[in-house]
Amino acid sequence: MKIESCPAFSQEEKEILQEIMNIAFGNATADLAEVIDIYVELNTPSIQLLGIGDLPDYLINRMNLHTENSIVAQNFWGDFKGSGILVLPNRSGRSLIAILDDAELNDFEVKPIAGQEKEVLMEVGNILIGACVGKVCELLNTFVTYTPPQVIHHNSDEYSAFVMSFDPAQTAIIMETVFRFQKIDINGLLLIITNQEAIEWLQKALHNFMEPYE
Amino acid sequence: MIKKILIVDDSPVARRMLKSSIPPNKGYEIYEADDGYEGIRKYQEVQPDMTFMDLTMPNLDGYSAIAEIRKLSQDAVIVVMTADIQRKSISRVIELGAFLVLKKPPRTKIVEDVLAKVEDLLKSRSGEKQ
Repeated sequence: MKIESCPAFSQEEKEILQEIMNIAFGNATADLAEVIDIYVELNTPSIQLLGIGDLPDYLINRMNLHTENSIVAQNFWGDFKGSGILVLPNRSGRSLIAILDDAELNDFEVKPIAGQEKEVLMEVGNILIGACVGKVCELLNTFVTYTPPQVIHHNSDEYSAFVMSFDPAQTAIIMETVFRFQKIDINGLLLIITNQEAIEWLQKALHNFMEPYE
Repeated sequence: MIKKILIVDDSPVARRMLKSSIPPNKGYEIYEADDGYEGIRKYQEVQPDMTFMDLTMPNLDGYSAIAEIRKLSQDAVIVVMTADIQRKSISRVIELGAFLVLKKPPRTKIVEDVLAKVEDLLKSRSGEKQ
């Protein structure tokens, strides 16, 4: 099990959050498999707390897994508030298009490849982030509203603007899962980042979640 | 009759949730392991009547642990308890010889139903032997 330093949460709270993230991501991959014929190998998620000022460096370090990356980001708000970030290597969009050729998105054929890649990444990001955050909310008995997903390329002005959009005075809880799309041999990273405002609510919600099991 | 139950899961929370979903008044002996290797070792040591097995675990995952345990005993009753509910994962563990697959988080009623099914299986096996 991998739980990084996370002083705002007790060990028990971290372990509950980690299990909830595990359930949520499992649910998200099953949802994705319903839409496209792809099998996702899962790893045990990790939870850590980070000053948002350190977030840009953290993301850069994590994204060094690949030389060039695409990011799908989607914000959500409610009791549970934050951002879902899916990181995939740049070329994964093309590989996913090949799989989706048999799926419902037939209009890809009439669009330029860059546009198709963006749409595929957006669709995959929307499913994974939405299903994962949605399952966390279901388990913690709340609901959130989402912004539409956006695709951001690493090393772009959009990326700089995206990382600068986080308030550096805040603390981020990072729930991270590394996964692998088996068919196309691509590794990815899913981060759910929520901030200090959500911590108090989250702690209560975690205890409520465990109540039936006490 | 089920006497000994082994729970293999890297998450202490998941093990706790499952243990609390198992009826406490039946006198089951519950044993725990936190990864596939430990699960195999405990299986050999305890010889449980049934094993609840997670799939996504560090060191040795549930798929490999199921395969190893089934090599040790073709009669091993393994119920997979997982968050990974992709069809391919489910068919893979059934091919490996898992008896049932349950979706996390555990619910008391579902766990009770599973225990009843395992009891039926064990009874039918002991009937065959007699």
